[in-house]
Amino acid sequence: MPASTKTRPIAKFATAVGQCSAQAAVYGKCIVADYNDIHKNKCGEEFAKFQECVKVALKK
Amino acid sequence: MRNLRQFARFTQYRGFATTSPGPGTPSFQVFNRETKRLQRDRAAQDVEASRRVDYLRQEVADRVVDRMYIKRPFRKILDLGSGPGAFAQSLYNTYESNEKERQPIESRFGKIICAELSKKLLERDVDLPFNKKFDIERVQMDEELPDFPNDSFDSVVSVLSMHWINDLPGALYRIRNILKPDAPFVCAMLGGDSLFELRTSLQLAESERRGGVSPRVSPLADVKDMGGLMQKAGFNMLTIDVDDVVVDYPNMFDLMTDLQAMGEGNAIISREMGPIGRDVLMAAQAIYQELHGNEDGSIPATFRVINMIGWKDSPDQPKPLKRGSGQLSMKEFLEKGNKN
Repeated sequence: MPASTKTRPIAKFATAVGQCSAQAAVYGKCIVADYNDIHKNKCGEEFAKFQECVKVALKK
Repeated sequence: MRNLRQFARFTQYRGFATTSPGPGTPSFQVFNRETKRLQRDRAAQDVEASRRVDYLRQEVADRVVDRMYIKRPFRKILDLGSGPGAFAQSLYNTYESNEKERQPIESRFGKIICAELSKKLLERDVDLPFNKKFDIERVQMDEELPDFPNDSFDSVVSVLSMHWINDLPGALYRIRNILKPDAPFVCAMLGGDSLFELRTSLQLAESERRGGVSPRVSPLADVKDMGGLMQKAGFNMLTIDVDDVVVDYPNMFDLMTDLQAMGEGNAIISREMGPIGRDVLMAAQAIYQELHGNEDGSIPATFRVINMIGWKDSPDQPKPLKRGSGQLSMKEFLEKGNKN
């Protein structure tokens, strides 16, 4: 398997997510604030910002 | 005649809460064993990565070896679900690092038979020095169905493998049968709340992003269930305890990469096929960090290891004394102890 020689796409993605820790924390706090009452898109806005940041980081 | 037929019908009736009639009856399948075999094969192919993530298996194997300080010879041991031979490797490490242990290990341990589902993982470490020290035989075999003659082993050990077994009562029963009378089964398996951080983070992320959850982390046997199962399979003098091994990772992706390299990927039959969506992954990473994260930015992963030792019954085994045969009052004894 070439896994150890070539960077896997998921590793690249992980690095990009790591660069957006501020947005991730905002999203995480929104979820953790009341995790007994989770429904779809509960923190949609926070997630959109997080996702936008990751997208930018991936392009770098 | 009519009465008899009615009676026959009555005896066939089984309620909802009756126990299974015994091993051999079809059991509920939770894990896909073929998927598990492929995952392990694939993991073992990258030898370097596979060895790098042996830290958990090796740590637990060391603890199992510590528990084998039972003063008796083990001429023939079965390592069930051996992986690359972690038990033998750990025994060898003890032998090499501690001069005092050399003589006892040499005199007590004989043949070690390694049985493992994945041939590639089984044969990964064939060239390492521990193979020369011990008499090791490798058998490719589904550890759920150990196929050996009855009464043939001085001990059966199992390191981090029993958590992928579908029919746990049946497997324990078979293990008991292949043990010689009064021989111990020494087992360390993942159980209970193992990886609860990962489980909860993925569940929260999936319900918020997708509006539903899919099983990502295996259902695991609980400590309190294992006692009952072992007893039912016919093991005596049980000792069961729990070790939490907490490993810190830089982030959730590294944890999942390591699990994959261990061959410990998801093999639940009812899992959602294909990789987890990236949106769920990044959401889960954020939640993991927020909910469970350490102050230095790393994340902890808890592996709850259930350690069990059970002995196959034998007429000449020490047994508990009869009820009421005690001569000493525990109350008086303890009170006296307090005064001194």
